[in-house]
Amino acid sequence: MRRVSGIFDTSYIQDMSIFRTKYYSLGIAILILFFLILPLFGNDFWLAFVSTTAVTVIALQGLNILAGYCGQISIGHTAFMAVGAYTSTILATQLGLPFWLCLPIGGVGAGLVGLLFGLPSLRVKGYYLALTTIAAQYLIIYMIKTPFPEITGGAIALHVPEVKLGSFVLSTETHFYYFIMMMLVIMTFFAKSLMRSHLGRAFVAIRDNDIVSEAMGISLYKYKLMAFFIGCFYAGIAGSVWAAYVRVISPDDFTLTASIWQMGMLIIGGLGSTLGPFFGAIFIGALREICVIVGPWITSIIPQMGAQISASLVEMSFGITIILFLVLEPRGISHRWEILKDSYRFWPFSY
Amino acid sequence: MITFVQLLISGISVGFIYGLIAVGFVLIYKSSQIFNFAQGEMVMFGAFLMWFFLGHMGMPPALGIILVLAIVGLAGYGLERFPLRPMIGQPILATIMITMGIGVFLRGLALLLWSTNIGIKFPDIIAEKTVSVFNVPISNVTIGIFFFGLILVILLSLFFNYTRTGLHMRAAAENHQLAQSMGIRVTQAIAQSWAIAAIVATIGGFLLGYVRGIDFGLTEIGLIAIAAALVGGLESFKGAILGGIIIGVAQTFTGGYIGYGLKEVVPFFIMVLVLIFKPYGLFGLVKIERV
Repeated sequence: MRRVSGIFDTSYIQDMSIFRTKYYSLGIAILILFFLILPLFGNDFWLAFVSTTAVTVIALQGLNILAGYCGQISIGHTAFMAVGAYTSTILATQLGLPFWLCLPIGGVGAGLVGLLFGLPSLRVKGYYLALTTIAAQYLIIYMIKTPFPEITGGAIALHVPEVKLGSFVLSTETHFYYFIMMMLVIMTFFAKSLMRSHLGRAFVAIRDNDIVSEAMGISLYKYKLMAFFIGCFYAGIAGSVWAAYVRVISPDDFTLTASIWQMGMLIIGGLGSTLGPFFGAIFIGALREICVIVGPWITSIIPQMGAQISASLVEMSFGITIILFLVLEPRGISHRWEILKDSYRFWPFSY
Repeated sequence: MITFVQLLISGISVGFIYGLIAVGFVLIYKSSQIFNFAQGEMVMFGAFLMWFFLGHMGMPPALGIILVLAIVGLAGYGLERFPLRPMIGQPILATIMITMGIGVFLRGLALLLWSTNIGIKFPDIIAEKTVSVFNVPISNVTIGIFFFGLILVILLSLFFNYTRTGLHMRAAAENHQLAQSMGIRVTQAIAQSWAIAAIVATIGGFLLGYVRGIDFGLTEIGLIAIAAALVGGLESFKGAILGGIIIGVAQTFTGGYIGYGLKEVVPFFIMVLVLIFKPYGLFGLVKIERV
């Protein structure tokens, strides 16, 4: 565990605290204040960008627990988001359940489906497990598209009823912004706390060496399935929130490509740290927006480039970014962030 | 009955192409223990490149095919130097994501170059007509692909059994250190296997594109090929071909008798079943390890 040098613990509470220095607490307070007052001066574009990124971060926290802490590779994470989104939407439309009930049920539903596809992890690992999750991606989307089109809407879009919390209707961009940011804070806090508990330590032990951790009395059976449940629960919550936010969902929103993007974001941000998902989602989100802006600009200079320039730029820059990060900094931006903090603290010495 | 035989034959011929692409996949896995998730994108990109030379620029088929195969071979050779050599000894997640990164990049490049070319086809190389085999009408293209694939597989297995380069690659696959101590350049052998995989993928893309047209959907074939390789066991060429045929036949049968939606996912059903009940496939090496 990383410890700040020069700060000494004199009580157990201090030893267990998340925000260890006063600058850290101050920074977090400023950040929270900034996001609280953002709707006052930010326009809808920025609010939408922050909300979209925040939903991605919620999903990535789950993927981080599954792949970053427990080492179980999942390249089907958006499929579990789809399970959550469709479960909560169908419960709301078919049974008329209120949103505050649909949201956790959607999460639990996604967690249970994740449990099902986590079962092979007890027998296979590495590449084989990655293949299982890819298969999960296709099978889940197939289950949404084909067998029950009258319930799931088939291959075409499914409309989400309007979201009410009590008697309050979430309708504007600002409402959703506050709601999503609240969810983000809750889910991040939950993830951070879980990973500091015995559960997180067991996950890390399994990631580092599964045979040794079994010898030390960690039940692989129990903890691997638990990792799948928690990871997919997060995906389900993110999916439900996403469905409520965009109001229209279709199977085409949850593709293998999107799952690969999520895994890429996690790698760029840094596996196995709570900050990693934030860095990754913001970095890739910004990269995508830049490509979308630069694309038409290139087309205006070289008209032969065609209309798909933005889409192709997004994909090419994402591919190159992933390759460069894996070769040059496989531990991601969060590792660089730690180095930056250290060099600030030790300045003017280099270590 | 006639539909049954027709479906069987078209399944076998499509399965042969799957098997071919799976051979490229197995080749890379054997030589460097890397799962190439970019195989599908290589197939798609190769098909588009082939179309660019044959259809767009109108080269004579023989010249164009040889030129394209040389280009993709060189590109595959170069891929080993960057970004794959730094990946030796890295965690599995890194190797998975690097090949996926290559795949995403290739798809972006193809979008940039050819996104406006919709509904394109290769120029006819052989005139299509229907011939009757045992009273069952079959397109001569199907038969052509079948024999072409058969010849290619025989050539590949001869290459791996009798040529010096092929034997070097097999030695590198067995054990990197041991191969190095015998004077084999392992990095070169891996690079050669990537080159051959790229060539095989392009040929697969060409054949598939000839049958069903060239579009970005060809990317899906990569994952189907992985399923085929998995069914056959990851270390075996004949297993890859057999797995390809099994999956191809399963696909055409479900497409013909049940429905189109299931046809798309049947490879993944088979993949999950194999992973749960027989993770090392039909001919794979069984690694005894408690997970």
